[in-house]
Amino acid sequence: MLEEQMDILLGLLYTIFGNENWWGPWIRGVVGLCAMGAIMVSAMFAVWLERKYASDIQSRIGPNRVGGRYGLLQLIADAIKLFAKEDLKPDKVDTPVWVGAPILMFGSALLMLIAIPFGAFVFNGTTYPLAVTQFDISILYLEAVSAIGIIGIFMAGWGSNNKFSVIAAFRNIARMIGYEVALGLTIVSVVIVTGSLNIVDIVEAQRSVVWFAFVMPLGFMIFGVSLIADMGRIPFDQNEAEEELIAGWGTEYSGMRFGLAYFAEYIHMVLGSCIAVLIFLGGWNMPGFLVDLNIPLIGLLPAGIFLAKWVLVMMFVILIRWALPRIRIDQVTSIGWKILFPLAMVNLVWAAMLGLVWPW
Amino acid sequence: MVNKHDVKKRMRQLAADYIHEPQQEAYKLDDTEMMLHIGPQNPIQPGPFLIDLKISGETVRDSKLYMGYGHKGIEKILESLTYIQGLPITDRMCYLSSLSNNEAYVSSVERLLDIEPPERSQYIRVIMQELSRIQSHLLGTGEYATDLGFVTMFLFMIREREYVLGLIEDITGARITHCFPRFGGVREDLPEGWREKAIDVLAMINEKCETYKELFSSDRTYRMRTVGIGTLTKEDVIKVGLTGPALRAAGIDYDVRKVYPTLTYPDIDFKVQTGNNGDIFDRIMVRINEIQESCWIIEQALDQIKPGPLFPDELPYGRRTPSMRVPPGEAYVPVEDPRGEIAIYIVSDGTDKPYRVKVRGPSFALMQGLPPMLENVYIADVPAIAASMDSCNSEVDR
Amino acid sequence: MVLKNFEEMVKNTFRPSVTRLCPEVPTEVSDRYRGMHKLDRDKCIGCGICAGTCPTRAIRIVRHGRWFPMIDFGHCMFCGLCVDQCPNEALTMTKEYIEVISPDRYALIYGPAQLMGEED
Repeated sequence: MLEEQMDILLGLLYTIFGNENWWGPWIRGVVGLCAMGAIMVSAMFAVWLERKYASDIQSRIGPNRVGGRYGLLQLIADAIKLFAKEDLKPDKVDTPVWVGAPILMFGSALLMLIAIPFGAFVFNGTTYPLAVTQFDISILYLEAVSAIGIIGIFMAGWGSNNKFSVIAAFRNIARMIGYEVALGLTIVSVVIVTGSLNIVDIVEAQRSVVWFAFVMPLGFMIFGVSLIADMGRIPFDQNEAEEELIAGWGTEYSGMRFGLAYFAEYIHMVLGSCIAVLIFLGGWNMPGFLVDLNIPLIGLLPAGIFLAKWVLVMMFVILIRWALPRIRIDQVTSIGWKILFPLAMVNLVWAAMLGLVWPW
Repeated sequence: MVNKHDVKKRMRQLAADYIHEPQQEAYKLDDTEMMLHIGPQNPIQPGPFLIDLKISGETVRDSKLYMGYGHKGIEKILESLTYIQGLPITDRMCYLSSLSNNEAYVSSVERLLDIEPPERSQYIRVIMQELSRIQSHLLGTGEYATDLGFVTMFLFMIREREYVLGLIEDITGARITHCFPRFGGVREDLPEGWREKAIDVLAMINEKCETYKELFSSDRTYRMRTVGIGTLTKEDVIKVGLTGPALRAAGIDYDVRKVYPTLTYPDIDFKVQTGNNGDIFDRIMVRINEIQESCWIIEQALDQIKPGPLFPDELPYGRRTPSMRVPPGEAYVPVEDPRGEIAIYIVSDGTDKPYRVKVRGPSFALMQGLPPMLENVYIADVPAIAASMDSCNSEVDR
Repeated sequence: MVLKNFEEMVKNTFRPSVTRLCPEVPTEVSDRYRGMHKLDRDKCIGCGICAGTCPTRAIRIVRHGRWFPMIDFGHCMFCGLCVDQCPNEALTMTKEYIEVISPDRYALIYGPAQLMGEED
């Protein structure tokens, strides 16, 4: 009985989304756009969370006018304001480079979307991860694509024809070269333990034993620091330091161009936090101390667990931003190369030893 | 009669100093160097001034300072106003520490008039000075924290400053430009119930300063940015002519309240806070220690104050100061501003308006101390150093 | 190291916020606050000392029956010297400060009737 119902359901899904009729690819495109829209809504949520949590830390009330008592729709009001501004293009900028920079940043942030599973849907014993696609090298693809955004910032800095922007662009490149190496090495150490580059396999590997954050604490700390450097947040935001370099690479941007770049940074933050949850914090698996409660994992409950962990990681990232001062650029590179890189190598050795004993 | 051509030649010589042309030595650039203007309009500056930095990569090789963008001609304005009308104008020279400016002006005029305020007025003036010092140090340190990227400390300090401003407002009636002392006394007495409120607020500020000292000194990222940077040794500090916390951070304990004591400072027991090295870290620690020391001074003053008249007996008008004729002479009374030593030098010729008023402001020397400190530092250190000196731009330009 | 910062910030999230919701909750000013002026008709003798003392010359003496002061709040800097000098204490300062905001600067010139509160 159940088999027949599953067959009918699968047949229906293939008719709608498959390639038999002419409308298949279009419907898939619409679903993809909905996924993009969902990510934008979650980035809006991330901005709201940052403003509210920052105001809690600082003894003040954050947004509280637009959209009810908690200001949930504040970003829509900001977006309308940004659309209504004049589109200023300074005289001597390098037009294709200057115009293309926010587009590149936004595009590269959205490219990460296709490989990240946002939780899982459990039905009848099998786990269906909620990802757009699953392919075998997904973690490698994610790391590669997240690095494309640097080129966007450099284009913004160079094309602006402005001394402050150029200094910011150079600082950005210096920072990223150092921290991509450490980031890559920690991801490689996780891959060594798991034995597969597929991100779904990494999450499954953490279900049976324990999360990787507990067995590889050094790797987790290095990954955390490198991720914050990757996202360009304080203490690593020298490229947009408002104090020295008026607005860094964004000095000549106003209106919706600035809005695109700003939004792209928050999407990067959202997706980076998702990766941190998936790789080190067990993805959608239940925390170990709650397994005894014997809650049946059916339906969308794993997705709910994933969301809760994601919110906690983002709150921690926001706390780091508002609690620490900014580091100088030469100290940033010296931390990246002299401290994080050797520690990442040590972590790699530890991960290799762990990979020999990891039970699958 | 002055020769017109001589005047023009002299003006051209003076103007050549202020032209940003590559003929000047500091503006000749190599292939690797670039000129960066921390310009007259910058979001972080407290007022307009210009620093031209010659940078090579991220290191500053040379710097040139230009001031005067906010010159209002206060000293000339004070020549055309009577003495009592000039008092609100001196408020507005440095609006953050306006009680110290008032005190300097009123002390000079009192010395010219040869009167001395009674004891209760002196204690009230001491309390107001120290309250003004607390709120100015809180704001100055908060602004410095934003220049490091540490925005949360700014908001914490502003939150504490609101309580202190509430205390000041209860007495004087205004939050920033107070216009409170008068010649021979003060405008109004302490209100009922102020003493208990003040003791609570001061206890809270004392406790919060301990938290700030821990937050500032235990944080490793903060120490990386501030220890050993922007150092002015003892010889440099005397050469530049600094006073105030920037001088005391280098290790010299010169405090105007101990060296030229006015009012009732000799009866109050307090220590002069000094630092060791004269870098950014020490300056901030000296300021926070001074806040705690000021709380202790106010508590002692509140214990020692006794009821009495606010104006001396031979003064028939009290707070209704008329336009009076001040006997001819000159007077210079230095006062400890939160930024250093301020003194207003008044020359009087016997009429009801001063003949010449010259202000010795502390912030001018603080700005002059910037170019020697900015050699071979990184660009990111420039705002940190400039903000740790805590100079008030409107007092530099007057 | 950096943990003291985190501990302090997290502790601060549980304390109440100190913001005042601006138009709904008015600012509490002290009793001695130097706001806009108020004139007492019976006590004012029209001597003109307040106009002579004002550092910005914001007060002028005009006829409204007798002679009374007229204050231009665009020029007034709320220093309080006029209130100190008044021999009969006819001119006092209230706690009112919102009315100084006006789109028209000629509306800020308050004649004697407005200062006495008899007219709007």
